Amino acid sequence: MDRMQHQGEKRLDALFAEYRMACPDPEPSADFMPSMWKRIEARRVATVSVFRHWAQICVMATLALTVLIGGVLIPKFQENAASSSSYLEALSAEHSADYIHMLAGGPR
Amino acid sequence: MLVEFELIERARSGDDSAFNQIVQAYRKRILGTISRTIGRPEDVEDVGQEVFLRLYYSLDQLRTPEVFEPWLYRLTVNAAYDYLRRQRRRQESRMSDLSEQQVMLADAAAGSKRRDEEQRRTKIRELAQSLLGQVSEEDRILLTLKEVEGLSLKELEKIYSVNENALKVRLFRARQRVLKAFGARENSEAVSKAGLGSADDSE
Repeated sequence: MDRMQHQGEKRLDALFAEYRMACPDPEPSADFMPSMWKRIEARRVATVSVFRHWAQICVMATLALTVLIGGVLIPKFQENAASSSSYLEALSAEHSADYIHMLAGGPR
Repeated sequence: MLVEFELIERARSGDDSAFNQIVQAYRKRILGTISRTIGRPEDVEDVGQEVFLRLYYSLDQLRTPEVFEPWLYRLTVNAAYDYLRRQRRRQESRMSDLSEQQVMLADAAAGSKRRDEEQRRTKIRELAQSLLGQVSEEDRILLTLKEVEGLSLKELEKIYSVNENALKVRLFRARQRVLKAFGARENSEAVSKAGLGSADDSE
């Protein structure tokens, strides 16, 4: 059994050696290098266009954010600032009323 | 090494002419390895270009020029593996192409002696490829690199970044499967020959 196995191994080795000889290294065609460089360039262009695409997305997002800040958030802040000043006014007005009450000898 | 370390360094730093020289030095060897691994002559250049394309865009990740060859082989193994996986998905539709291609190869061979030699080679290629087809794509490539390309375990260790013992186990199992298929094929051929012989005797 071992001998048969050994013979099988030897025949398989011989087959692999013959396979190696039956498939010699092929000569590259004349088009090999130009095609390879075309593929490299195509990949480079694709990578650049992906970057460009992302850059465009970033620019658009920045613009949208700017518009949002300029058109919505700033007026809202200004509105808040205006209401806070009127609140101060209202507060001081209330204090002065208390003071008037106190002066008038009213309930504390 | 087929090229100087300095050339690899230049290619790493973005010198396209240095890269061109590297490709010219290695392309024949790489195409040979791919050819014996994938077994389809018409797709060899396509896979070879893919290997060098991957090399071009990964050269900056190469730590030192000393590991260039294992690196290139790893890229070759990966490209061949990707090809074989894609190939498996469309295997049925491709079966008819194979016979056409073999017919074309046989027709192309001029003269009967040359044709006989080409037929013998085609048979060997068919047999070896069908036996290697008995194992997974990964093992097929590993076995081809070891048994057909003649790479040592040390070289394979560098390519696969796996320790020698793990590789030995994988190689042993893959080889046993191929050996079993080879034995079964030889037996069936012997039986069919004996059957033919007895049929001839009865006539």
